[in-house]
Amino acid sequence: MRLAELRVGQKAKILSINTKGIIKRRLMDMGIINGEIIKVEKIAPLGDPIDIVVKNYHLSIRKEEANGIEVEVIE
Amino acid sequence: MKNITVAVAGNPNSGKSTLINAIAGTNLQVGNWPGVTVEKKTALLKLENIQVNLVDLPGTYSLSPYTQEEVIARDFLVKEKPDLIIDVIDSTNLERNLYLTVQLLELDIPVVIALNIYDEAQKKGIIIDIAKLEELLGVKVIPTVATKREGIKDLLDAVKTVAVEPEKFKVKKLNYGEDIEEAIKIVEEELKIKKADLLSQYPSRWLSLKLLEGDKLVLKELNLNEDESFLKKAKHHFIEAHGDDMESLLADLRYGIANGATRDVILKDDNKRIDITEKIDRIVLNRYLGIPIFLLAMWLVFKIAFDFSKPFSDYLDSLISGPLTKWTAYALNSFGSAEWLISLVTDGVIAGVGAVLVFIPVIAVMMFIITLLEGSGYMARVAFVMDRLMHTIGLHGKSFIPMLLGFGCNVPSIYATRILETERDRKLTALLVPLMSCGARLPVYAIFIGAFFAENAPTVLWSLYLLGIVMAIVLGFILKKTLYTGFAPVFIMELPPYRMPMFRDLLVHTWQKLKHFVIKAGTYIFAVSIIMWFLLNTPYGVEKENSALGKLGKTISPVFEPLGFGTWEASSSLVAGLIAKEVVVTTMAQIYVTEEAEQKEEEKGFFEDLRDSFLSFILAIKDAFGNLISGFGIKSLALEEEEEKTPLKSKLQGIFDPLSAYTFLVFVLLYWPCVVVGIAMKQEFGSWKLYGQALLIHSILAWLVAFVIYQGGRLLGF
Repeated sequence: MRLAELRVGQKAKILSINTKGIIKRRLMDMGIINGEIIKVEKIAPLGDPIDIVVKNYHLSIRKEEANGIEVEVIE
Repeated sequence: MKNITVAVAGNPNSGKSTLINAIAGTNLQVGNWPGVTVEKKTALLKLENIQVNLVDLPGTYSLSPYTQEEVIARDFLVKEKPDLIIDVIDSTNLERNLYLTVQLLELDIPVVIALNIYDEAQKKGIIIDIAKLEELLGVKVIPTVATKREGIKDLLDAVKTVAVEPEKFKVKKLNYGEDIEEAIKIVEEELKIKKADLLSQYPSRWLSLKLLEGDKLVLKELNLNEDESFLKKAKHHFIEAHGDDMESLLADLRYGIANGATRDVILKDDNKRIDITEKIDRIVLNRYLGIPIFLLAMWLVFKIAFDFSKPFSDYLDSLISGPLTKWTAYALNSFGSAEWLISLVTDGVIAGVGAVLVFIPVIAVMMFIITLLEGSGYMARVAFVMDRLMHTIGLHGKSFIPMLLGFGCNVPSIYATRILETERDRKLTALLVPLMSCGARLPVYAIFIGAFFAENAPTVLWSLYLLGIVMAIVLGFILKKTLYTGFAPVFIMELPPYRMPMFRDLLVHTWQKLKHFVIKAGTYIFAVSIIMWFLLNTPYGVEKENSALGKLGKTISPVFEPLGFGTWEASSSLVAGLIAKEVVVTTMAQIYVTEEAEQKEEEKGFFEDLRDSFLSFILAIKDAFGNLISGFGIKSLALEEEEEKTPLKSKLQGIFDPLSAYTFLVFVLLYWPCVVVGIAMKQEFGSWKLYGQALLIHSILAWLVAFVIYQGGRLLGF
């Protein structure tokens, strides 16, 4: 499943990041790394971007980027 | 005396600026990093007999080679080799902050950690074992609360110790695990044999790690290839065990260390309850309430930025064009100065000074607001809410703020583009901002709408605002596909906790920006005003038609023929509008209404004028606050009827027809941005290139749109 497909309130474990270069590195630098648990907290009023909690802080990313992140729902 | 360099590094939102302000106070110098629009703060401090050169690095989450800020930070650290790094950490968000610390420790430079915002962590029930953290990372850790100046003295003591006894700050190598350490060793040894000169320039552990990661910038700088045989040999082991993505592997590893350290040192974390940030965001970013609240906030921002500052700008304007001009002329006259000299001093020099001064209130208020939005954390929410819309024209959600503020005045909007992350975003936003119809265009609209469309005034006015926005979308699309095809901004942004910025910091920051504007931009604005005076008045005393400006207008007037206003009067006024768009009207008034009746000046004495100036200042303050509570409308966007312009109005009615009048307004809306915008662009982007582009693009756009409207209108029989 992809991160972009998660519903608000769902928790998931990151399996892999399928983008390359700058975006991937940026995501990793912000704490989106394999095995990390994230939670979808909110979706912006216009439907994009989304707000997720990772490493105990709030990070917002576009669905475009979230589409490249493979996750496994845990809750 | 001993000289040392101390770099201050840290994540964005870690309270780094406040800490720097607390350490350096008024010694702080603000400038730019060479060649880029990234702020550089430095300070020279004297600690007993030590001279400390303090350098604030851009706030970064990492030292990757991808963002401008990160490259600047790491280049400084690697090439300038400071004696100490103060690593500012947000105590409430230890793990992500330590990820940067781990990377700093690869540089072989002594590090001191400022465990900042320590009071908030304590309030949240987070207890950190400081001694353990020091032991794990091998660095000194000092809890600080920058807003209350707590811990600053201890930090300075650490700086002193580094200067006197550097051996106390031996950098501990964090263990990256057997495999990586082995690989590092292979690379280091190879470098020792083949590239010994490099090892004297770069920290060897850092260099080896970058080569293993395949860091493109480092490889390029060293003239090495990713497939170098010794690198292959060093990586060989992993590629078999973990796949070939060394970059991910090292990121995982560094986060692993940060995570391990965090788990080991946090003794207690009661941070389970919902904090204030979550509570606010539940309302502010709510699905249904989010947009209305956002619009309300933006309305408030706009109202404060312009309706509050306008009375002060108006006051300065009337003070300069009134009593100051009058009494200077009086004084010059009594010395028997020539008429042209009086004109040069009053209409050139004093008007030039005035042109700079009227910007001060608006820039001050706007910089204050932007700093407040950034510092409080609301700017990130604006970006979060607006990104969807801004993304469609290839911009970042944060671009919304400069665009919105552009309706008041484009100049501070150009400065506000600094909140954006990439050079491409900043430039693209700066090119679109001038399409937001600013307050200076209103006097032009007012006179033409008054003369031709008095009955439909609101509709005509809003059609112009709307046309500006539509053209911004169109131009955004075109530029995205042509000049600015580069990487569209990624939106990977922290939503930081809401925090109340310190009032003192806001004032200091606003003051620095203002000082910068007056010194740097002021000179240019002043010079342009003088040049304009010469254009209008050489040769001195001739009819306006034969002045340099009139001749210039005559030469270019055929260009405007197909738009319906190919007269020398109109084109001269448009040229003069380069100074500021409202000058189009004042120039027209000068040209068309030459026989204007002598202004009835009330005969007031010097002290009477002085008293009146003081009284009107009080009135300006009253107006400013009155505007804030004067209901829903925004004054700065409304037309103001100007009684004294009636002669010009009737003159215009004889020259323009409604269609050419509307076309003229469209042209004024879209054509070249004023020179002050250009000066701001030069200041922000380091060259006149962007303004050159803007002049060209906007003039062509204005001509084309005006052409379509005028010729189309004629075909339709208007």
